[in-house]
Amino acid sequence: MSNEPRKESLRYLFERVVTPLGYKFTPDAELVDELLEAEVKLEQDLGAPYCPCQGRSGVREEDMKIVCPCIPFHRAHFDAMKRCWCGLFVHLDVTDPDSLPQFPPDED
Amino acid sequence: MIDEVFVYALSTCPWCRKTKQWFDDSRIEYEAVDVDKLSGDEQDAAADKAYELSGGRRFPVVVINGEVVVGYNPDKFLQHLRSWGGGGG
Repeated sequence: MSNEPRKESLRYLFERVVTPLGYKFTPDAELVDELLEAEVKLEQDLGAPYCPCQGRSGVREEDMKIVCPCIPFHRAHFDAMKRCWCGLFVHLDVTDPDSLPQFPPDED
Repeated sequence: MIDEVFVYALSTCPWCRKTKQWFDDSRIEYEAVDVDKLSGDEQDAAADKAYELSGGRRFPVVVINGEVVVGYNPDKFLQHLRSWGGGGG
C-alpha cells in the first residue's frame, strides 16, 4: 500500500503549523520525501509521526516532544541552527539548507 | 595513525546515513549500530550509551578517538581525526 496519500496529508497539516512559527519545508525535495516516508512508517509502527532522527524514551510525555513538527518544544535550539533537527523544516529565509550544520543545543 | 570511530545511528535518519557515507568517502574505518534495529536489552544498552554520551536523544552520535560529536558535522569530525591532523582527543 502506497504511503503517498498519508505523506500528502502530513505535508498539508505540517505546513499550516510551521509557517506561523517562521519555518518552511526544506528546499531539498528529496530529503522531504525521505523524511515524510520515514515518519509515515513510524506512525504506522509506533502510532505517531515521530522525528526520524531522535530516539524515543518510552515515556509518553517526553516522546510527545519529538512528534513532528516538534519545533515548539525545541524552539531556541532550532532557531540557532535555522533548521529542525532532522532538517525537514528550515527558516523561511533559508535557500541553501546544506550549509546548515547540525549541533546539539549546548553548542550553539 | 589509526582512528577509532563509532557511530550510533537510527535506520530512519538520513543524517545518520550521510554520516556513515562521509566516513566511507573519507576512507576512514568505523563501527556503527542502528539502535532502532536492535531489540530488547541490546537495544536498551546501546540507546542508554548513546544518550549518556550525547546528553540527549538526538542522532547521529559519533565517538571519534574518545571525543563525542552529536549530529552530522564534518567540520567537527575533522577536528578529532588524527589521520586528518586533528586533535584526536
